[in-house]
Formats: sequence, C-alpha cells, structure tokens
Amino acid sequence: MKRLSILMLLTLFIMVGAVGAQDAVTVTWWMEPSGSDDHVQELIIDVFNASHDNIQIDYQPQESINDQLRPALQAGVGPDIVWLAGNAAASQYVAGGFLLPLTGYADAYGWADKLLPWAYGAGIVAGELYSIPVTYESMVLFYNKTVFEENGWEVPRTADELWSLAQQTADMGLVPFPYGNATWQPSNEHLMGIYLNNYAGPDNVYAALIGEKAWTDSEFAEATDLLREHIADLGWFGGSLEDYYSLGGNDPTAMFASGEGTMMMSGTWMFRGLGPAFEETGMEWDWAPLPPFSEDADMQVGPYSYDLALGGNLGVNAATEHPEEVGIVLDFLLSDKARILELASTTGFGEWVIPLRYEIDDFPPGTDERVLRFHSDFAETTGAGRYGYTAWTFWPARANQQLWEAIELVWAGEMSVEEYLENHAAEWAQDAADGLVLSILPRE
Amino acid sequence: MAFKIDSRVGVTSAYRWRQILSNYIFLAPVVALNLIVIVIPSLTSVYISMTKWSGLNQPEFVGLANFERLINDPIYWKSLSHNVIWTIFFLTIPVAMGLTGAFLLSGIKRFQMVYRVAFFIPYVIASVVNTELWRTLLHPRHGIGAWLAKQGIEGFDIRVFGSKHTALYGVAFVDSWHFWGFLVIVYLAAMYQVQPDLYEVAILEGASRFQRFRHVTVPGIRPTLVFTLLMIMIWSVPAFDYIYLLTDGGPAHASEVLGTYLYNMSFFRFEVGYAAAIGVTMALITAFIVAIFVILRRRGWEI
Repeated sequence: MKRLSILMLLTLFIMVGAVGAQDAVTVTWWMEPSGSDDHVQELIIDVFNASHDNIQIDYQPQESINDQLRPALQAGVGPDIVWLAGNAAASQYVAGGFLLPLTGYADAYGWADKLLPWAYGAGIVAGELYSIPVTYESMVLFYNKTVFEENGWEVPRTADELWSLAQQTADMGLVPFPYGNATWQPSNEHLMGIYLNNYAGPDNVYAALIGEKAWTDSEFAEATDLLREHIADLGWFGGSLEDYYSLGGNDPTAMFASGEGTMMMSGTWMFRGLGPAFEETGMEWDWAPLPPFSEDADMQVGPYSYDLALGGNLGVNAATEHPEEVGIVLDFLLSDKARILELASTTGFGEWVIPLRYEIDDFPPGTDERVLRFHSDFAETTGAGRYGYTAWTFWPARANQQLWEAIELVWAGEMSVEEYLENHAAEWAQDAADGLVLSILPRE
Repeated sequence: MAFKIDSRVGVTSAYRWRQILSNYIFLAPVVALNLIVIVIPSLTSVYISMTKWSGLNQPEFVGLANFERLINDPIYWKSLSHNVIWTIFFLTIPVAMGLTGAFLLSGIKRFQMVYRVAFFIPYVIASVVNTELWRTLLHPRHGIGAWLAKQGIEGFDIRVFGSKHTALYGVAFVDSWHFWGFLVIVYLAAMYQVQPDLYEVAILEGASRFQRFRHVTVPGIRPTLVFTLLMIMIWSVPAFDYIYLLTDGGPAHASEVLGTYLYNMSFFRFEVGYAAAIGVTMALITAFIVAIFVILRRRGWEI
C-alpha cells in the first residue's frame, strides 16, 4: 500500500511537471556577445525564469549576429527578441516588416515614463515604437590623472587649452589621444561625431539631421578639416595616422593606462576597461566633458554638452508566436532599476545601462564616484537641452557608413573635404528618398 | 537461344534505357544538391543584381542600373585592381616558394616528414588564429620591428597593416605564409611521380641541380603546376578572410578587394542588390579564367 502511494504520488508529480512543461512558453532572445553574458544569465534570465512558471527565456548570445539575423528572420526562424545594431539597422528591419510595433506594450506598461525621453524617441519609426535601447553612453574626455598631476596640468576647459595641451604632450614624445581603428573600422565615427558636434555645434547638427541645413555648409567642412589636421597632419590620435590604423582592441587603453598616452576622446563604454587597465599600472584616470572646439559662441549650446548615444537595441520578431510573453519579458527589463544597475555594475557601468529614469540614489553603494558624476551631470546637462548626436544612433545606414569609411580617403589626401561632404549629402538624400532617415525629437 | 533477333534488339534497347535511367537516378541526388546550393542561388543572385534591395524590404527591379553604377564606382575599380595584384602575388611568391620547398624536400630522406608537417601546419590553422599571430608579430608597439628598434636596429618598425602603401602586400604575405605549405605538399606529391630514370640520365649528362629542376622536375609536374595556377587564379577572385580580419579593406580602401567591398555593401549599407551586382561580376571573371584554360586545353596544351 505504501509503495502504491509513493508510486501514485510520483506519477502525479510527473503529470503535473509534464503539464507545467507543456504550458511554459519559451521566449528566445538573440544577443550580441558582450562578455557580460554570464551576468545577464544570472541576474536577469535566471531571476525571470524562477519567477515565471509559464514563461522561460532562452538567452542565446550569437557570434556575428548581424550576419545571422537577416537570413534567420527572412527564413521565419529567427528568435522572438532580437538584438539590433542601432536605430539605422532597426529602421531597415522595420521597412522590411520584420519587427513588431511595440507601441501597444509601451502604452500598456508605461514605457515612455520609464525610459529617458530621447532614448524612447530614438526607437520610434514612422510614429510607432519598434525597439528599446540596451544601454546609453556619451563621448567624454578621459585623462590620465597621474600624468596630469605629475606635470601640473589643468584639465582643459576650452578648445585652446585642449589643443595646446595636446601639442605640449606630443612635443614631449607622448601620444595626446591614444586611439585606433585596427579592430573596428567604424571607430572613425566616434571622432567624426565629436568634431561635428563640438565644432559645428549640436544645433547645427540637429538642423542637418532634420534636413534644414546642408552637410556641405562651412561649419561641417571646418569641423572635418580640423579632425583631418589633428589625425593626419599632427598625428595626435595614436601617434600617427599609420599608428591609428594599426592600434586596436586594448592597445589604446594600455597606452593610456601606462602614461604613454595622456587623454582619450572616447565613449563612456570605456568605464568598463579603464578600471582593470589602470589597476595594473597603478595610475589613476578621470574624465571631463569635452569642451566646444569652436570659439564661435553662436554655434555652441553652453560651456559643454554631451552627445546622445545608444549601444544597441532590442526589437521583437514580427513572426513571434508569443507576443504577449515577449512584452512581459521586455517590461521585466525596464521595471527594476536596481536589478539593471546591478547588472551594469558588473561592467563598470560601461554596458547594460538601460536608459531608465535613474536617480543618483538608485546606483548601488560603492559605485565609482567618477561614474556617478557622469550619470548625474549627463542627466542635468542633457535635461537642460545641451546635447549632441552620435552618428551610430541618429544617422541612417548608408550615410553613416560613408561618414566613417570615406573619411579615410580625406585623411589619405585622396579626397577633398568638400567632395567628402558632397558625397555625404548625396548619401543622406538617398536615405531620405528611401524613407530611412531617422526621426529626431525636436530640440527644446 | 530463345529470342529472335528483333526481340534481342528490343531487350538490348530496354536494357540500355534502364541503364541510362539508373545512371540518372544515381546522379539525381548530386544534381538536386547542386541545383539547391549552386544553380538556384546563382540565378537568384543574377536577379537580385538587377534590383534595388536592402535584403529586407521588397526588391525593386532596376534593370542594369547597378551595373551602370559599378562602371562609375572608383572603389569598385580600385578593389578589382587589388584583386589583380593579389592574383599576381599568389601566382609568383607562394608558387616559387612552394616549388623550391618541394624540390629541396624531395632531395632529403631524413626528417622529411618533420619538415612536411612544419610547412603544412599554418595551412590547417584557422585564419583567425593566423591573423592574430601576425598582427601581434607586426604590431607597431610590441612587435618584432618595435623590438628590433629598441635594440638599435632601425628600419623594421613599419606599420605594415596601417600604411596604405603596404597594407595589401602585408595581408597577402600573411595569407601566402599559411598557403605556401599546401603548395609544397602538392608539388612534392607530383614530384614523386616523375620517373627517377630521367634524373639519373640528367645526372649522367652532367646536369646541375637547377638544370634538373628546370628540365626534368618542372616539365614532369606541369599538369599539377598548371592546375594549382588555375586554382590560385580562381581562389583570388573571392579573396576575403585574411583581408577582412587584418585590415577590413583599409586604410582608405588600400587593401579593399571585391569580396570585402561586397560584404560591406551588403551588411553595413544594406545594399544587397548592388552587392549582388559585384558578386555577378566576380562570377563572370571566374568564368572567364576557366574559359581561357578550357580553350588552351582544347588547343592541345597539357593542362
């Protein structure tokens, strides 16, 4: 009798388990591998799966995801949640009808109130929300604090101070701005974006983005020529133009952390790599906002501004069989600031900082003061309307690719700045004709 | 015999038809496979090359517009010229090294296998590993050149992949480093097929080592040699992996080839129609190369 009871009990458990397993919906999620995938699994996926009996996330980091996603979606076998390489890519998938509009979820779950307005707006194509951002970032001036203190240098607050210090460090045999594109050619757009925004000014860039100003105008030509002079003539980035093309991966960070390089114009994703690199050398780093590069006050929006940038987006496969469950998964991501910041902390706040409306108290205890200072000042400054635009977040695909690829012809002396910008304007016009220019929130 | 002559003809004819049918049945899987993975995608590519298509939206038929654009695209011609340089490089340097290596190896008995394995190892290592190896060795800050410069030996700390003057040749060097060992093994196998009597006669006639190589070895391995030259020319058209991994066609398109240009068009710019047009021209170039060899063969060349 006792055996029979145990047997019946076991059978009941198996049946319940089987029914449970049948009911559970699996939501597949393709993601670009980031080095944080174990943490994502532990802090997001496992937590979600443990708290949702009827939905299970199958998180799949995919190598070369850009190459794989297109054929997968075309074949109708793609995942439910897809990682997209920015808004330009998202708009292409939207044009093909491969992404599900998320406006319904956004309205139901109140995502517009959870996400930063500009980040929410960046996911809108033709009036519908199609993607949500994975992380936000901006471009700043990192500097080797130890080298600065040893030499008694002040942090540059103006273009004159910045260029004068760059020349001084170059004269000392140091590299003013260690940087390179050997392992990621589109790194060129980091610099082009900085020079366009910081020289021509965010208002002018905005006017060009919405088609009210020509890319061939003198402000953009002067900005492009200034970068050409700094990178090709003066060799400030990497040490020489050939060095810039030869350095990649961790090379610039290593040069910066060793004191061989003094400053870096780069993105806040560097928060992730700077800590370990400087720990090895025993030096210290810090950051400051990039000053305006032009003395013309009319072109600037204040003492400094921050360029808005998103690092990847999440969209939903239009062919998903589980739209409701996918909405629950995405809302889970956007609903717990503490959980997201805990995940972001594992990357030194260089990645996975989903642009939610954080208060400074939301950041976990022990967060690096430099990181806190950035997020606090970024919120205050961009909230005051002092922000610019990064190419990978606000440019359409063809114009974006031309921006970072053809600039090398200018640097090589094989193309004039004027011809480069004329080509850029032509690419932009082509993107506009195809309806692929991204919507930009009006500046206040 | 139980059959009349007419019946026998009927049986023979039926047998022949059965045989033909069975041949086609056995061929069918291969034909089907080739249809699926070669013929249909090729025909589809030709169609796509005549469309404006992002790879995601609805293709818009534009006729020959993509090919007209190719004619006026300086980067396309630059890439094509780099493919020509690439082909010439691989038809000369690795072939010369492969022939020399194989000839020298054919003359030694001890440790030959060790050398063969050593030469062949780079060929079986993944291109990602090979490129990282050479990127490190030729690194401007901590590579061989930089180390030599620190020892006071100047002139070697050049930015091989960072200079527009050397990038293409630098990548070709790395690729040929991994490739020449393959040629050594192929040529060595062919050299073993050359009749030893010919060498003995040549020695008796007082031929030097180089003369034996020139007048006995090379003619003896001619079919293999020509075959490898043909394959090198064909393989050079879609050259991609080493260039993509080391320079991605840069700097300033200095190492751009048709393969990397096509890839960037398709995956960065979402211009799949234009990329397909580039692909079609690559296929035509390959067909042209093969046609030349076929014509030469029909004219009696031993290839």
